[in-house]
Amino acid sequence: MSRRRTGAILFHQLRLLSRDPLPIMILVVFPLLLIGFLKPMFALALRTHGYPGANGAEQVVPGEAVINGFYIVGMTSFAFFVEHGWNTWERLRASDATSPEIIVGKALPFLAVSVAQFLIIFAIAIPLFHLHSRGPLTPLIPLVAAFALCLVSLGVMVTSVCHTVQQVSAFAFGGLVLFGALGGALVPLEVLPGWAHAVAPATPTYWVMRGFGSVILSGHSFPAIVLPCLILIGMSLAFAAVSLRRFRFTDSKASF
Amino acid sequence: MLQVEGLSKAYGSRQALDSVNLEVAEGEISALLGRNGAGKTTLVSIVAGLLSADSGNIAIGGIDAFADPRRAQANLGLAPQETGVYPTLSCRDNLRLFTGLAGMGRSETRTAIDELAELLGLTELLDRRAKELSGGERRRLHTAIALVGRPSLVLLDEPTVGADVQTRSQLLGVVRNLARNGAAVVYSTHYFPEVTGLDASVVILERGRVLARGSINEVVAQHSVGTVELVFAGHAPNVAPLLPTNSVSTSGSCVTIKTHDTAAVTAAILADLDTHAVKLRGLTVSEPSLESAFLELTDRPNPALIEGVVDVA
Repeated sequence: MSRRRTGAILFHQLRLLSRDPLPIMILVVFPLLLIGFLKPMFALALRTHGYPGANGAEQVVPGEAVINGFYIVGMTSFAFFVEHGWNTWERLRASDATSPEIIVGKALPFLAVSVAQFLIIFAIAIPLFHLHSRGPLTPLIPLVAAFALCLVSLGVMVTSVCHTVQQVSAFAFGGLVLFGALGGALVPLEVLPGWAHAVAPATPTYWVMRGFGSVILSGHSFPAIVLPCLILIGMSLAFAAVSLRRFRFTDSKASF
Repeated sequence: MLQVEGLSKAYGSRQALDSVNLEVAEGEISALLGRNGAGKTTLVSIVAGLLSADSGNIAIGGIDAFADPRRAQANLGLAPQETGVYPTLSCRDNLRLFTGLAGMGRSETRTAIDELAELLGLTELLDRRAKELSGGERRRLHTAIALVGRPSLVLLDEPTVGADVQTRSQLLGVVRNLARNGAAVVYSTHYFPEVTGLDASVVILERGRVLARGSINEVVAQHSVGTVELVFAGHAPNVAPLLPTNSVSTSGSCVTIKTHDTAAVTAAILADLDTHAVKLRGLTVSEPSLESAFLELTDRPNPALIEGVVDVA
């Protein structure tokens, strides 16, 4: 893989994102709005489940960041689909760039966007919603990075299995709601039925929320996020493996 | 620069290309002519590495394109049939991606973009977003993207479709310039005047087979006949005895004569019409042309029956 060519595609993708910044702004604004009116409900849930001093921000801030972070799956996939809509996909394929360079160059900016989204939400939520973490915040950086990697890999996988942009929308939105709910990001896992507890570990949201909980609510440090990070990286590799198997550069995709 | 040998490709039961051979030298423009579905785009796509072939060989600059596709296609520029640009980016940013992929540095990129913009009349538009361009301007940008990496083999798939007269003239000028500078150009089109204007060599495709190839003059001489058409008042007289060696058909008041020498036939028939001359109401002479050669070749009822390729080169 050539760093020069990957870099050219990466900067090109960043330029495309910078020309249409609204979706990225929404990734930050929507969760902040939701946090504002969901915080009391989460405070109640946390207080009745063993955290008497919690104000709700400890759960709702990472939860909303995670749920809205799921939009990165769709955004990553749309970045590929729009190339088909603009008839530029064949141009990229006919260029000197190899298939891995195209995928990495197009997907990597969304990794940065995803990490930046978490950083901005936390940076605003700490003073605005009085988010107090019992543990140090630095372990959250690798946790967020691992989750972002998982989302972007899932986005590439969705691209590889979907043929129309409508399928991508269905996958991305369905995944957001399903994974968000089952993983304890939409509502605290403690209030879900027993069967949900059993299947939750199959979702990336469960592991990222578990990592957040270990640090913010339980006051743990780096050792507590090792397992969630490893599992999120493992899931990313699984998504990447499916992508490798299913991604057909010659497939025609129905875009917008 | 480009050698294609025995290239075949089928989509299910439909044979898109059938043992196609093609050679394009440095500095040569090779025009691919054929009806829609004749195999032009399939051929271009396989050469560009976008489609796989069922059989055959392609060498670009002497490098086997199937064994070492990346190296073979490193100096290839493609302008596909559909206009492909990034609408939200400026023309400059559109071009910058492809100079980056071609390995150009900053100053080389600036020079290449400025030179090409000058040639294609895009200088004033470089900082305008592609979505704000007219159709013709967008088509010029589309072609510029194919050329900005200074490729030695250029594949242009119907580059002037939908272009206005000025755009078409500019594009043709750029193609001529490319060939003058040593690039090999494969130029697929439906417009015969463009082919003559470019003085290109000609490849006529039909149902995936090459029916003829050679210079324009060679293909015209081999496959085109002129026609002399006479229209009379009332029933046309029998002029066949006057012209025993030519193909004559009569229908009602109209006589059509197919001939390689329209001038001699016209002179002979006008001299010999005698009393029928007063009934003559119209005379149309059509010289042999690339278009009539194309129609002659592609209008045959069953092209599969044509024996082999007529290579007049």
